[in-house]
Amino acid sequence: MNGGEVTLGRTARLYIGAAVLRLALFTIFPGLPDLLTGRVEVSTPVTSFKRLQEGLFLYNHNVSPYDGGVYHQAPLFLPLFSLLPSSATFPIFTYLLYVAVDLLSADALLKIADSGEAVSSRLFTSPRREKRWSGFVIAAVYLFNPFTIATCLGRSTSVFTTCAILHAISKAIAGAPISAMIALSFASYLSMYPLLLLPPLLLLGYDRRPAADRTSPIAFTSKHVLVVAGIHSALFGMSYLITGSWEFLRSTYGVQLTLSDLTPNVGLWWYFFIEMFDSFRSFFLAVFWLHLSSYVGGLCVRIRTQPLVVLTLLLGIFAIFKPYPSIADVSLFLAMMPLYRHVFPLMRYTFVVAAVVMYATFLGPAFYHLWIYAGSGNANFFYAITLVWGLGLSLMVCDLTFAILRDEWEVERPEMVGKEIRQI
Amino acid sequence: MAETTTTDSVVIPEPVTTYDDGGRKQPPPEKAADVRRRTLVIVSFWLIVLCLGLPIWWQTTTIYRAKLPLDEMLDWADGRACRPVFPLRISVEANDLQHQEAQNLVRLTQHALDDLNDFAGHHLRLQLASSGRPSETTAETDEDDTSALTIRLVQGDSTASALHPHSPVLDITYPPNSIPTQTSSSSALASYIATQLRSTFAEEQAIISYLLSTTSSFPAEQRPQGLTPEAADALAKRTTRSLRYSPTYHLTFSLFTGGHLPSSWDIEAAVAEFMKPVLDILTPIHNFTIDTQIQLYATPGVQSQVLNKEDLSSFVNAAEWPLSPSIGGAPTVNFIVYIGNQTIGLPTAEQAGSDGATATSQSWLVPQWGTVYLLPLPEDKAHVSASTLKQPLLTFTSHLLSLLGTPQSGSLPLRLSTLSRIRSADLLLRASSTLGSLARLSLALPSISIPSSVADGVSKTMSHLRLACDTLGTPGALYHARVAEEEAERAFFEKSMVGQLYFPDEHKIAVYLPLLGPVGVPLVMGLLNELKAWRKRRREAVDNGKAKKET
Repeated sequence: MNGGEVTLGRTARLYIGAAVLRLALFTIFPGLPDLLTGRVEVSTPVTSFKRLQEGLFLYNHNVSPYDGGVYHQAPLFLPLFSLLPSSATFPIFTYLLYVAVDLLSADALLKIADSGEAVSSRLFTSPRREKRWSGFVIAAVYLFNPFTIATCLGRSTSVFTTCAILHAISKAIAGAPISAMIALSFASYLSMYPLLLLPPLLLLGYDRRPAADRTSPIAFTSKHVLVVAGIHSALFGMSYLITGSWEFLRSTYGVQLTLSDLTPNVGLWWYFFIEMFDSFRSFFLAVFWLHLSSYVGGLCVRIRTQPLVVLTLLLGIFAIFKPYPSIADVSLFLAMMPLYRHVFPLMRYTFVVAAVVMYATFLGPAFYHLWIYAGSGNANFFYAITLVWGLGLSLMVCDLTFAILRDEWEVERPEMVGKEIRQI
Repeated sequence: MAETTTTDSVVIPEPVTTYDDGGRKQPPPEKAADVRRRTLVIVSFWLIVLCLGLPIWWQTTTIYRAKLPLDEMLDWADGRACRPVFPLRISVEANDLQHQEAQNLVRLTQHALDDLNDFAGHHLRLQLASSGRPSETTAETDEDDTSALTIRLVQGDSTASALHPHSPVLDITYPPNSIPTQTSSSSALASYIATQLRSTFAEEQAIISYLLSTTSSFPAEQRPQGLTPEAADALAKRTTRSLRYSPTYHLTFSLFTGGHLPSSWDIEAAVAEFMKPVLDILTPIHNFTIDTQIQLYATPGVQSQVLNKEDLSSFVNAAEWPLSPSIGGAPTVNFIVYIGNQTIGLPTAEQAGSDGATATSQSWLVPQWGTVYLLPLPEDKAHVSASTLKQPLLTFTSHLLSLLGTPQSGSLPLRLSTLSRIRSADLLLRASSTLGSLARLSLALPSISIPSSVADGVSKTMSHLRLACDTLGTPGALYHARVAEEEAERAFFEKSMVGQLYFPDEHKIAVYLPLLGPVGVPLVMGLLNELKAWRKRRREAVDNGKAKKET
């Protein structure tokens, strides 16, 4: 670690560099934001900036923003964005807001990385803990990740969720579980799925409390669950006041639960539910959601010693299996990945994973073009490439899990370090 | 939460377990904490499957089958629930006669009628009108008067009968000496009246018996006898010609012309003058909406000067003429006036006779569709006046009546009341057979879902059918039969049922297996392995215990 002042200067330079890069892209390529906003890889029905504009227009004209069935995002976005000057006339304010959110996320990530929770938690310390990247590097990787930049330029509202999740984790690590719960409530208010992160986050917050406070796990859990419930009801109440009805529940969370908008995206749900028989639709919706949530319990039990690992793996799983995934979710997972620099040598498929993800990244837009614009391909082209994308990501998640478990196992069996093992 | 304690002690890596040299091949035994952790992981997955997955599976895939009164529905379809009986009351007015004499005459006539009648479903019942009533009010029959026909007996020179053209009244004159005496058991006048009545209602009787006979499900003994094949043929022809019943019809009047003239016509006035009276009389049975259009430079499908019978079917240029099939859900009846001097080559006289009065030299009727009228006009006439349209509209009116299925004989009021009875019988039978189809469908496909709206529709249908059956022969019956038919159709064509019509159970494997298989295999294998390991540990524990005891 360098001296504090130097680090601060370095970090500030990093943030300024990232902000300048984004603003430069915004100004040099004025068409780029709108192009990215229209891409299915960046914008999903529940995060699209275009749909936000539609909702905002209706809201500003005193019509329910959910009329017309286009807007599926949280009602609290509306007063926030109506405070800003219109993005059509003064786009710079919107750009600045998105850049600021990205920098806030990077800052939270930097704190998470610098805490060293990834290598040494309360119950487990990795033998490889020396070999890790500093928070600066990790924040830089996040800020200059093309996926992050594309999401920022596409002005997808999932950046707010990303920011809230990262802050929840960083607060939990900082020993402020109540703040963490508030941040998580915001995240799940915006996108619903982060609520599944509550159990590992509780574990993390519990582990990071000072030993004196760590008396009763049950009291800790119930207190913080109550906090989450309270914040949620406050947010819902405010939304009710803003929109004047409870309709927003059906239009935001209902759409995620029932997948009523089948716009293609990089996930695995849309194609499946286009093909599904109507009478089995509700059953398989339940199966897909249960599948998504079933990992929470298993991972929390299995990797109880490292709650941050559980959070990272769950973020990876959500990026693959959630109903409306986009590259924003992948960028969040990729932001957390470098925290585990110390287990990278244990991963077995780094080359394959990198190749598959790159392959899907480049061919995805091409196949989408063939299907939608050129007309020479069909929906199967794009779905096939999203399958490859999902395969690559799940390989990455599996490989990381394997590396973490191997790292843990080598503590018990030090004589096996560096030897080939066979999974049974 | 289970504390996995191993790690606390191993901050500095050091061997926790020591093992023998044999451990090179054999991994060291699992620690108890690891075993417990693995069990917990498996339990956590299975808890979700059992506590959430199973109830959701049950909830979302059980087929809701509302209870249908199948037996009653089949009863209706088979005609066991309702005997269609049309008790027609005919009042006799004989103001010139003594009450006693009149009563006697009525009794004799009823005898004569009963002797003549062979069809129990259609029954004429005579009754003496209350003599206090002046004959004028009875002539103006009001709606709730239940008698279908009034016979007015007037003394005259000879025996004669005439149907009143504007009200359901049969005027019969009789010579004074023909009144039967108190004791006589038969009378010429009585049998004369009976024959007259019978011939008046013969057509209605024939149509109703035809309707019942085409509904094959009716038991044979209830089926009317004595319908000659020729009569049945003629009736079948007429039934196929008439439109399906609907409470509302849309009338479209179109003027088509080959050139640019005429460009206007006085259709509104013409309709109001020549057609409106009939439409008004039909109001209790049907409603009508009307629109009109003019199309210039319209070429017919056939260009020849004299149209023969084959040309008529292709004369209407369906591809180019804007004749929409139906507007707003109501079936459309098209009336086309084509300006041109083409004529129809009439078939020879005897063919025309068998064809009925549908084809004149200028117009013909298209079954279930409408009428075309060829109107010759001078070349330079720009406006078609209402008086020019008189003949076309009168033709249209009479064709409309036959398109609606009105019987052809008798006075107009009688024809219309007959029409309402025929229609109610028709709807009653159709609703019953739809109920039967629905019942058979739900029996044949045990896996089809039956939403509660279908059960609602069925119970509504049945209650209205019951009401219709009980009031058959009165105007209320038509209303009830109509509602019953609508409800039955809606229940049968329920959207969510139609979609599941062809979904055999085997398909479920194809739905479940590819998706749940990959998820299920690791779950089930994990559970099995865990159970096996658990049993093995138990056995070892028991063995150890035994060994300890023995030592």
